[in-house]
Amino acid sequence: MNQVTQVSSFPTDAGGLTQDTMMVVAMARLLCDGEKVFHGVASPLPMVAILLAQRLHAPNLVYINITGGINAHPKSLPLTTVDPRLTHGSHSIFKLAELFDMSARGDLDTAFLGGVQIDAQGRINMSVIGPYDHPKVRLPGGAGSAAILPTARRTILWRTKHDPRTFVEKLSFVTAGGNVDRVVTPLCVFVKRDGRLQLESIHPYSSAEEVKQKTGFPVETEGVPVTPPPTAEELAALEEIDPQRVRLVEFKE
Amino acid sequence: MKQKQTTLAEAIASVADGSIVALGGNTIHRAPCAAAHELIRQQKRRLELIKTAGAYDVDVLVGAGVADRVSAGFIGFENVFGLAPQYRRAAEQGRIQVKEHACYTVITAMRAAVQGVPFLPIAGMLNSDLMQARGFKTVIDPYSGEELAAVQAIRPDVAILHVQEADEEGNGRIYGSVYEDDLMARAARRVILTCERLISSEETARVPELTTIPGFLVSHVVLVPNGAHPCSCGDLYDYDYDYLARYIEACSTPERFQAWLEENVKAEKTEKAVSL
Repeated sequence: MNQVTQVSSFPTDAGGLTQDTMMVVAMARLLCDGEKVFHGVASPLPMVAILLAQRLHAPNLVYINITGGINAHPKSLPLTTVDPRLTHGSHSIFKLAELFDMSARGDLDTAFLGGVQIDAQGRINMSVIGPYDHPKVRLPGGAGSAAILPTARRTILWRTKHDPRTFVEKLSFVTAGGNVDRVVTPLCVFVKRDGRLQLESIHPYSSAEEVKQKTGFPVETEGVPVTPPPTAEELAALEEIDPQRVRLVEFKE
Repeated sequence: MKQKQTTLAEAIASVADGSIVALGGNTIHRAPCAAAHELIRQQKRRLELIKTAGAYDVDVLVGAGVADRVSAGFIGFENVFGLAPQYRRAAEQGRIQVKEHACYTVITAMRAAVQGVPFLPIAGMLNSDLMQARGFKTVIDPYSGEELAAVQAIRPDVAILHVQEADEEGNGRIYGSVYEDDLMARAARRVILTCERLISSEETARVPELTTIPGFLVSHVVLVPNGAHPCSCGDLYDYDYDYLARYIEACSTPERFQAWLEENVKAEKTEKAVSL
């Protein structure tokens, strides 16, 4: 059975806003009605964000995942995003190979991809720390990202850690690079402009100082607005979609 | 006609050391775990494993010294248990060759094998360091002059797949997610099929379009209820969280891992494989 790991001790503001909630709400807001959106393995936050966007402002969004489910309506959310539950409610099975083909021919609107490390150009490392043949740390691998990042119309990256080892000026190994649009972190949202990640907004419980200090590349904080905190409507919908806070599994360790 | 329905031990005995083996399923879902355990019991060596995204099956085969090459896009237990401990350790110690792919290049490599061509071009990939690190080459489109990544064919010697239903001729039905199982069956030289339930060949003939894996591609079919355990199997059963948690814990030291193999894999015998 699924066991949701309880994680406490997140920085919160006076209103009790936690990183996981701010992140999924920020990710959901980036999605548009009618677009075709995909997430891959190990993607609980994108899963919740897509379901949230569908519930709120994007009822005609087409939700695609690795299981082949299209617009799945799982009764309970899984911890693994290749789970058979993500076919529940689907009227067809659109296989992973078909999804990759769709991205390759330019028909995938938005992909969510993760990166263990992300650099100032929005490229990701999911492969190795150290030399490829003698790695200090062998990471899981980029899954489909080297094929999807350059071919999807846009990619939204996310990472639940924000520190100078995660956000670096230049990667030692580039698993994938390409059409990055936004990067959502526990502290802020970056937008890729003129080939570099630039701050778009800073979450309410963080600060320009904190983001500067925890980002391994220079960022301009002057005039960067605060991410609007989740509305009552967003919070209510999120509570309905993910009452067990399955999304917290991404904050384990 | 040759009898295809065999025991798990007989089926796995047909896998030669050094083989290229495609494993069905994806991460901790519908992976052929009972067959993987039998590969360990029979002390197979030097296998190359092919998969888009693997977890327990690949990890335990690497840890037991059965596989020394892994061609895959992703090996890990997702957010549930994180990095794959045996795979990671073996890669860092240089005991295995990690042939990292994008999942799409695994698919394209098998499609090339299906079509009988040495390689296929693919969109994307060019700005990835995997091109250099993995020796992926490029080709020039003779029509437009555009440069494209060229993925070399992978023809597995055998695809090992676990499905919900099959008949005695090996016609297999997959319910729910297919993952890459159908492609693996067509790219490989032959298929070993394990199944949750045997159905009659009259039943598969009644609705042939429900057959995902054509029996003529299958060399062995084995009835193995619970054959994906500890992974999930469609809507029949969930993954076994507690078993996987114990596995991850046992991977903390080589001694504990060996003890775990003894207790959970080697002592398991083949009682799962119901005698026929």
